[in-house]
Amino acid sequence: MQDKLVDLTAVLPLIRNNQTIALGGMTIYRRPVAFVRALLQRQPRPQNLTLLTFTAGLASDMLVGGGCVSHVRTCYFGLESFGLAPMFTKMVENGRLTIIEESEASIACGLRAAVGQLGFIPSRAWQGTDLFKVRPDVKTIIDPYSGETLTAFPAIQVDVAIIHVLKADRFGNAILGGNPTIDEMLSNVAKTVILTAEAVVDKLEGPVELTGLPVTAVCHQPNGAWPTSCYPAYPLDGEEILRYIDACNAGQFEDYIFER
Amino acid sequence: MYTIDELICVCISRQIEDGELVAQGMSTPLVAAGYLLAKLTHAPNLTFISAIGQTFCQEFAPLGLATVENLWLRNGLFTINFITGVCDFLPRYQPKEFFRPGQVDPLGNFNNVFMGGSYAQPRLRLPGSAGIADVTVYEEKVCLYVPRHGRHTFVPQLDFRSGVGHVPERTRGSGPRYLVSDLGQFDFGGENGRLRLTTHHPGTTPQRIQAKTGFPLALAPDLHETKPPTAEELRLLREKIDPLGIRTLETLRGAHRKAKLRQILAAEKGILGRG
Repeated sequence: MQDKLVDLTAVLPLIRNNQTIALGGMTIYRRPVAFVRALLQRQPRPQNLTLLTFTAGLASDMLVGGGCVSHVRTCYFGLESFGLAPMFTKMVENGRLTIIEESEASIACGLRAAVGQLGFIPSRAWQGTDLFKVRPDVKTIIDPYSGETLTAFPAIQVDVAIIHVLKADRFGNAILGGNPTIDEMLSNVAKTVILTAEAVVDKLEGPVELTGLPVTAVCHQPNGAWPTSCYPAYPLDGEEILRYIDACNAGQFEDYIFER
Repeated sequence: MYTIDELICVCISRQIEDGELVAQGMSTPLVAAGYLLAKLTHAPNLTFISAIGQTFCQEFAPLGLATVENLWLRNGLFTINFITGVCDFLPRYQPKEFFRPGQVDPLGNFNNVFMGGSYAQPRLRLPGSAGIADVTVYEEKVCLYVPRHGRHTFVPQLDFRSGVGHVPERTRGSGPRYLVSDLGQFDFGGENGRLRLTTHHPGTTPQRIQAKTGFPLALAPDLHETKPPTAEELRLLREKIDPLGIRTLETLRGAHRKAKLRQILAAEKGILGRG
């Protein structure tokens, strides 16, 4: 197998304007924060990205705050117990961000459809809600066997997925360390897959949680999820998350990004 | 003496039956504490499934904030992932779950997407519908909780319907069955499934609750005062389940909430340092 271990700076050019970018992990757990910070320090920053993530949190708020994102596809955008995501909330209220409203099922079915090379997956989700009003592209379908009206969630295509993992080998096989979220699915749907890893070894013996087959590049990035958690290596750094929120609310987002 | 967060936890706990499967979303420590209280009292055979970690779990552990994953990842009996959870396990097992609405209407429809203004440019963007727009369509055991009862939450007309209540177009599931707030407990036993006050918490009255609700409330015929927590329930909550007081984060706002967050993080760091 091919050795995919490269420096983080080598993968930054893989992110290009107008792509759909997916971030692994969940809200404030195992997020590729170091990657996002490096991307924001790249000149020029990417523009007009569509950000796809199951639950968007700190890393997503940074990408949005950095002006890289034109469209957001997520079922939740916030910082859980730490409150609203400051840059996202501000941008939406100023009408500067287009939200492609999602729920857990629309993302899960959309990715299942994509990985199975199908156009859609049917579901009972959304029936009776207002979600259709803001997602006119989502159609219903009649179950040919029962006659029941179902929602036909369209396949979701992803250009680049960035996933932070606990441990990877040079070929991209990886251990997530818990909280699997949707990362295995993302790795199989995305055209380009970048792993940042707390630790890199020559060869993992298995069983592994992600296969290296679809992985494009592996970057060694200790503390790469900080201040989000990387279980069991470290818990989330709540004081730092509060410091980020305070910096954003004080209009010092850019200073915060370039601090280190 | 007890605080309102403790009463809400106790009310949630008393809605749990032994042997049930219960689900927990993100940032819902009142619900987690309520489930754990049920586990340590009348429902020892409870199984939890959590958004964080996507694990099935049958063991007890105290609540954490920076270490919130420990409860689910250290004790997880069985791990799925979110795709399998959403597409397969939730429809198959239909756990009981408590949701916190941004707005709720008289029929138990609710909104976690935006409030005020328009969808394209809202006055307040909320985090989003997460799994609410999915499971409220078909589940039988949806419950709601509102830590700060007021007219901004209990509205005659939603700005957006992301959770489905007792509406004629429903073909499956039941709509929410129960709601607890910091003022009282409710079911949806009013006409056509309208919200109905069943108990008022000690220290408040049905009149005050009505005044803080943005639409006329139905009243249960046997409307009475909520049974307060027992000394044992309070001891379990304070000493075993949530000694850091994480549950109070859902009832606090603004500067008080931020101060409490910092206090909890410092206390938790002390525990981690020792342990």
